[in-house]
Amino acid sequence: MDIIVLIKQTVDMDQIKLNDSNEAITENLPLKTDILSKNAIEAAVQLKEKYGGNVTGIIFGTEKATSSMKEAYAMGVDDGYIIKGYEKSDPLITSKVLSDKIKTIKNDLIILGNQSSDSYSGLLQGLLASKLNVSLLSNAIKIEINNGNVDVTTESENEDIIMESPLPAIISVAQEINEPRLPNVMKIMAAGRKNINIEDTDIKYGDDDKILSNKAPENKRKKIVYEDSKGIDEIAKILRVVK
Amino acid sequence: MRCLVFSDNGDNAGEIISYFYKKMDIDVICNDSVIDYGADNVYKYSNGFSDNLSEYLLEMHNKNKYDYIILSSTNLGRQIAGIISDKLNEKCMPEIFSFEKNGKIVTKRFFYGGKTVLEEETGFKIFTISPGIFEAKKIDKKSNLTEAKLNSSKYKILNEKQKNASGNDITRAKIIVSIGRGLGSKENIEKIMPLVDALHGEIAGSRPVCLDYKWLPEDKQVGLSGKKVKPDLYIAVGISGQIQHLAGIRNAKTIIAINKDKNAPIFEECDYGIVGDLFSVVPELVEKLKK
Ligand SMILES: Cc1cc2nc3c(=O)[nH]c(=O)nc-3n(C[C@H](O)[C@H](O)[C@H](O)COP(=O)(O)OP(=O)(O)OC[C@H]3O[C@@H](n4cnc5c(N)ncnc54)[C@H](O)[C@@H]3O)c2cc1C
Ligand SMILES: Nc1ncnc2c1ncn2[C@@H]1O[C@H](COP(=O)(O)O)[C@@H](O)[C@H]1O
Repeated sequence: MDIIVLIKQTVDMDQIKLNDSNEAITENLPLKTDILSKNAIEAAVQLKEKYGGNVTGIIFGTEKATSSMKEAYAMGVDDGYIIKGYEKSDPLITSKVLSDKIKTIKNDLIILGNQSSDSYSGLLQGLLASKLNVSLLSNAIKIEINNGNVDVTTESENEDIIMESPLPAIISVAQEINEPRLPNVMKIMAAGRKNINIEDTDIKYGDDDKILSNKAPENKRKKIVYEDSKGIDEIAKILRVVK
Repeated sequence: MRCLVFSDNGDNAGEIISYFYKKMDIDVICNDSVIDYGADNVYKYSNGFSDNLSEYLLEMHNKNKYDYIILSSTNLGRQIAGIISDKLNEKCMPEIFSFEKNGKIVTKRFFYGGKTVLEEETGFKIFTISPGIFEAKKIDKKSNLTEAKLNSSKYKILNEKQKNASGNDITRAKIIVSIGRGLGSKENIEKIMPLVDALHGEIAGSRPVCLDYKWLPEDKQVGLSGKKVKPDLYIAVGISGQIQHLAGIRNAKTIIAINKDKNAPIFEECDYGIVGDLFSVVPELVEKLKK
C-alpha cells in the first residue's frame, strides 16, 4: 500500500493581528501545518502500519515548509518532497503542481484534507481526482482496505455513507477521522536528520482576481457587558421584548 | 446573464435561487423539486454521485453556455466544483457569501479560518456558496420541472446510515439558545431547557458539544464547519467565542453572552453580556421571564 499524503503549511491564524484599519497583518507570522493535513498524515500512517507500504508527503509551499515536513516525518511519513513557488491560495494552480508531482510517484492511494484551515476551499480533492483520473471518496471518517478495494465511510450533511472503490483512489478526510499523534522526542530528533527533497516549479500565477480588502469582519455589536446582578434585570427586559 | 445552480440539498438550492433571482436567469440541478423560488428550469436527479453529476453539469453547460456556475458548498457540491473547474479549466471562487455585479463581479468570503473577510474583484465563472447564509423566498411563478437523466456512476454504496437529524432546522430559528463546553455535561441540558422553552426558541451548540461529546445532534452545530444561523436573538451560554464559532453567528441580529470568564472573546462579539455562572444566571433569567 503506497500512499501519498498532501500537506499544506499555513500561517498560524491564531497569531494574526489587525492594523489600525482592521486589516490582517500577515507578514512574519509563525507557520504551522494545516489542521486537516495532520489528520491526513495520521490516516496515511495508520494505513501503512496496518497494511504495510510507504508514505510519501508532498508540500507545495516555500522553503520554510521544512518544519512541516519534519513534523510529518516524526509522525511516520517516510519520504518528503517540498515544491517551492507557492504564493497564494489558488486551487487550480496548486492542483496542477501537485498532480504533476504525484504522477512521478508510484501510489495506490492519495490522502488529503477535506477543507484546508485557511481558505476552506475544499476544491483540491475534485481537481486532483479529475486531473489524475482516479476515484474520489470524500470527507472520510473511516478507511478500510478489502480485497484490493477501499471502503470509505463518508460523512455528509444528512447521512453517513459507506462507499466502495477500486484502487487507486483519492480520499479526503474529515477532522473526526482520528486524533493526530504527538511524536516523542526520539522521533522528532530522528526526523530532523532525514533528507527532504526540495524542488522548484515554474508555475505562473495569473491576475484574474484582485483583492479589494482583507479585513476582520465589521463588529457593530453593542458590547454592553454586566459584571453584577443588575445584568440579569436588563437582559430579562430585552428577552421579554423579543420573546 | 444566465447561471446554472447545483445543490444536493433543496433548502440550499432555494436560498441560492432566491439570492440570484432577478439578477439573472437561473437553471437548477437538484435532487429536490425546487420549483417555487424563481428558477426557469429545474432538473431533478436521483442517484447522483460526483462523477455522473459532473458529467451532467458539463453537458448542460456545453449546451447552454452559462455565464456562471454556482454550487452549494456541501460535501458533494465541493467535489463537483473541483472536477468541473479542472475540466473547464476555469477557476472557482470558493465559499462566497456575497456576489455583487456592477460591471465587475465583487465577491466576499471568509479567509484565515473566519478571521478576515476577503473582498475580491474577480473574473471567475464558478463559485461555491456556503449554505444557510441567504434567505429562501417562495414566489408565485413555478419553474419548469424536468427529470435529469444521469449516466450510471462508477461508485457503489455499501451502506447508508441516516443521521438522527433532529427535525427543526436551526438556520431558520428566530431565537436560539446555544450551549458550549461550559455546560459541563449532557445531563445539564435539562437546566437550560426552561430558558429555551420560555423563549420558544431552539437549542443549538458549539462544535465540541455537537461533534466531540455528542450532547446534541450534529445538525445543531453552529459555526464555520457547522450551520450559519441568522436568528433575531442568539444566546451563547458557556461558549468561549472562538473565531470558528463566531463565523456561524455573524448574521444574528442580537447576541447575548453568558460566561463566567470576563475575558472570554465572546464578550467582544456580543450586544449584551453577563459575566457569571450559567447555573445561577440561567435559572434567574427564567424566573424573571415568568413574571
Ligand atoms: C477547522 C475547524 C473548524 C471548527 N469549526 C467550528 C464550528 O463550526 N463551530 C464551533 O463552535 N467550533 C468550531 N471549531 C472549534 C473552535 O475552535 C472551538 O474549539 C470551539 O468553538 C470551542 O467551543 P466552546 O466555546 O463550547 O468551548 P470552550 O472554548 O472550552 O469554552 C467554554 C466556555 O465556557 C465557559 N464556562 C465554563 N463553565 C462555565 C459556567 N459554569 N458558567 C458560565 N460559563 C462557563 C468558559 O469560561 C469558556 O469560555 C472549529 C475548529 C477547527 C480547527
Ligand atoms: N499547497 C498545498 N500543498 C500540499 N497539499 C495541499 C496544499 N493545499 C492544500 N493541500 C491539501 O488539500 C487539502 C484541502 O485543501 P483545499 O481543497 O484547498 O481546502 C488540505 O487539507 C491539504 O491536505
